[in-house]
Amino acid sequence: MPDRDTSGNQLTEDLTVSTVSELDLIEDKYSGRKPLGLWADTWRRLKRNHLAVVGLCIIVVFLAVGMTQEIANLVGLNTGEPGTGYLAPYPPNAVNYELSPKGLGSPPSWSHLFGTDYLGRDVFSRTLVATRISMLVGVIAVSIALIIGLILGPISGYYGGAVDSVIMRTADVFFAFPYILFVLLIMTVLGPGLWNVFIAIGILSWASYARLNRGSVLSVKAMEYVEAARAQGASDLRIIFRHVLPNTMAPIYVAIAMGIGGAIVTEAALSFLGIGIQPPDASWGKMIADYLTYLQAGSWWMVTFPSIALTVTVFAFISFGNGLRDATDPKLKE
Amino acid sequence: MGERLLTVEGLSTHFFTYAGVVKAVNGVSFTLDRKETLGIVGESGSGKTVAALSLMRLIPDPPGKVVEGSLLLGDRDLRTITDEEIRQVRGNDIAMIFQDPMTSLNPVLKIGNQIAEAIMLHQDKSKGEAWRMAAELLDRVGIPDAAKRVNQYPFEFSGGMRQRAMIAMAISCNPDILIADEPTTALDVTIQAQIIDVIEEMQQAYESGVILITHDLGVVAEIADKVMVMYGGRTVEYGGIDEIFYNPHHPYTWGLLGSLPRLDQTEKTRLTPIKGQPPDLIALPSGCPFVGRCSYERPECRDQWPQLEIVGPEHGVNCWIPEDERREARATLLHFQEYAT
Amino acid sequence: MLSYIVRRLFQLVIVLIGVTLITFLIMFAIPGDPARQLAGKSATPERIATISEQLGLDRPLHVQYYRYLGRLLRGDLGESYALQQPVTELIRENAPNTIQLALAAVLIELLGIPLGIYSALRQYTFWDTTLTTTALIIWGIPVFVLGVFVQWFFGLKLQEWTGYDMFQLTGAGDNILWIVPADWGSWSTLILPAVTLGLISVAYISYMQRASMLEVIRSDYIRTARAKGLSERAVVSKHAFKNAIIPVMTIAGIDLGALMGGAILTETVFSRPGIGLMIYQAIGARDLPVVAGGVLFATIIYVFANLFVDLGYAFVDPRIRLEG
Repeated sequence: MPDRDTSGNQLTEDLTVSTVSELDLIEDKYSGRKPLGLWADTWRRLKRNHLAVVGLCIIVVFLAVGMTQEIANLVGLNTGEPGTGYLAPYPPNAVNYELSPKGLGSPPSWSHLFGTDYLGRDVFSRTLVATRISMLVGVIAVSIALIIGLILGPISGYYGGAVDSVIMRTADVFFAFPYILFVLLIMTVLGPGLWNVFIAIGILSWASYARLNRGSVLSVKAMEYVEAARAQGASDLRIIFRHVLPNTMAPIYVAIAMGIGGAIVTEAALSFLGIGIQPPDASWGKMIADYLTYLQAGSWWMVTFPSIALTVTVFAFISFGNGLRDATDPKLKE
Repeated sequence: MGERLLTVEGLSTHFFTYAGVVKAVNGVSFTLDRKETLGIVGESGSGKTVAALSLMRLIPDPPGKVVEGSLLLGDRDLRTITDEEIRQVRGNDIAMIFQDPMTSLNPVLKIGNQIAEAIMLHQDKSKGEAWRMAAELLDRVGIPDAAKRVNQYPFEFSGGMRQRAMIAMAISCNPDILIADEPTTALDVTIQAQIIDVIEEMQQAYESGVILITHDLGVVAEIADKVMVMYGGRTVEYGGIDEIFYNPHHPYTWGLLGSLPRLDQTEKTRLTPIKGQPPDLIALPSGCPFVGRCSYERPECRDQWPQLEIVGPEHGVNCWIPEDERREARATLLHFQEYAT
Repeated sequence: MLSYIVRRLFQLVIVLIGVTLITFLIMFAIPGDPARQLAGKSATPERIATISEQLGLDRPLHVQYYRYLGRLLRGDLGESYALQQPVTELIRENAPNTIQLALAAVLIELLGIPLGIYSALRQYTFWDTTLTTTALIIWGIPVFVLGVFVQWFFGLKLQEWTGYDMFQLTGAGDNILWIVPADWGSWSTLILPAVTLGLISVAYISYMQRASMLEVIRSDYIRTARAKGLSERAVVSKHAFKNAIIPVMTIAGIDLGALMGGAILTETVFSRPGIGLMIYQAIGARDLPVVAGGVLFATIIYVFANLFVDLGYAFVDPRIRLEG
């Protein structure tokens, strides 16, 4: 066979040897198509998981709601109201006794979509503003955990030996505690409050990120030894960072998604138990706790809407996280 | 050879997927006689494995479906017999060994269990007898210390031994046809030859027909009596082993033969690969799937599937290039200068 | 297997030491006066001094830790200042209820296994999609939210609609809906909390089981089993089942361990006595010894549960069993 084809193009290398079974190729729906690269593939597979896509949309919407102020600042619409002030039709803490006859609030109506609470405050506005707190907790707590984990993980993996053992055993100890009880214990000692919530959740979650990260560093280390053996130049380093690391980052992204969901629920649980955030801050968990007693009296709307908001958020993170995991799992076929 | 065991006519298997219809196998036909070895050759995606799985009705449905074809085992059409009947055929009349013996054996069950299972299913034997037979089979395929080995788990076997165990499992019920799907691909080169020997031995002993699926022409040269070259789900050429190797007529076959490293080539000579990529099985042209990679292509190649052309004794090819042009083209290729006729 | 057991036990010891150390640090090494924290908000200076002396809070930290460890090994978890009772006694009182709830919830949870398997085998069908979506939605409901609504429905609405007074509402308590069942000792105290817990667990167990089963059923060895001529039922029950169920059983086992330590949110919502409620009430009263003691107890149980699950897994997987 000539080594140039009839059009003069250089022939590519195709040695027709492959150990991938064809059924795998077919089932993976590539059917001879070349893989598009890590992210395009992941996105393609993710797109097919409708629940995950729904989850992602919800997450984006809620994040946007939570970040209205920042977004508005970006666009130049600063009216000085904190948080989601723009979107909320009423100030969330505006008390209005007239809207709460008998101290039981008023049911949903056209002017107050979610009704009003026992102080006449608009539930919709409060729920909206609480979105910000929840998103904040999720993001900040996970960030704290991520920072700790992304420092300790690579240190552990890179140095190995005693350092690795110590850090990993410490991680084991952190894993040993049932999560929510551990957080409760810390909160009991620190006392309630928004920042304490960030710290408590953040400090106790670092272990999973550290472990995941360590794994990726270990595999990169192995690669490096191979490369060193071949005594090649910087181009291989680029291969490692462009191909190996993104591959190994996938479980961390999944962990982040699940982690934010978990942090939000944990904060809600803490606030529900009375040891989370304190007034005037409002979070969904706090709202549920505050409004519980009114349920019995028939004012169902106060509890229901924050509950729905919370559930929807958690569902979104779980679905997206699961979808992301399925989409990045190389072995998983539909 | 012996009696005709299998007659496959016009087999077509498609996968109805999210992305489109994957036409994995299109109109493939072949026959198999007793004591005959048919080598099915092609690259990944050529449809060879799917064709074999279609015979045993092991294509997952959804998304796959054998949409057409007659698969005659004796006088029964494997495509239309009942589920109950096909289960009796599997492991019993037709047995299959797979590519990767590590993943193809259940890790939590003992080897003896997995072999005895087949025996107890198809033959009227008690558990004790079946296990005894399993040990005998392990011995037959050349596993030392068979009586002890039969109680072990797959992870305790080496790669070559696992494949032997798979062969033992496959022949346990004396099948008429043995299908070996890339049996040596996952193994070391030194073990490969041994496994092929074992397959050959068993074929002789049990007088079965063997379908050997592979991309490795070296293996085919060893034991095949006839060869079917597949590409893009179609058969592009078939014929006896000598015919295919010494009188190949299809450009793809030339490519396969030409890409083999030769002992008389110097290190400086580059390997000649086949240019291009395997076809997208969803967007196959209605003509020859080899378009785009064939150096001799002509306009009709893309739109029409060439009719079968007999070019030798029991040797057929599907190609639009007229025969004389083919011989000329073949002669100019380095590899075939000795065969210029 | 032996070497695995040894390694695992070694790790167990290290973890237990670490857990006690952390608990100790949280209790005794926080800024501020630990004695005051442990004595409680309304303690007199004499009381604080007594505690300080008892616990040797003036000693260096590592000495304190040894003494703490010693007390732990003797079963002394300190004393609840609010209830004037040894913490261990409180735990002993509350444990049976919690164990009961844990067992009930896990039993319900195991229903997720057949659900998940069935769903996996019927992939792409309406049943499968419905089940998966429902499971994900339910999984996302925080347990206390579900608890509130379960109470509301079964306690309030059911009564309104049917007139059947299965649960009596008292409306007492600070911020928790108190439901006191008509017959306190009956099963009704167990059913609602167990079902609430169990429902959410069933959701994720069935999801996990489905995923596990799907992965197994796509394996090469399943294809081999079919190629031998086994019926689909034999393929599933003999080859797929064992492999698919292992990961899920480990989850269930760990769940049991976690629940044994007190399902604090559920017990709180349903006002069901147990370790969880004990801890919750202690939090409200800032009763640190109880909180720390309860958490430590729960953690130790959790650690052992994990151990048993690991050992079980080692036993089932022939690779670990034979090679250790």
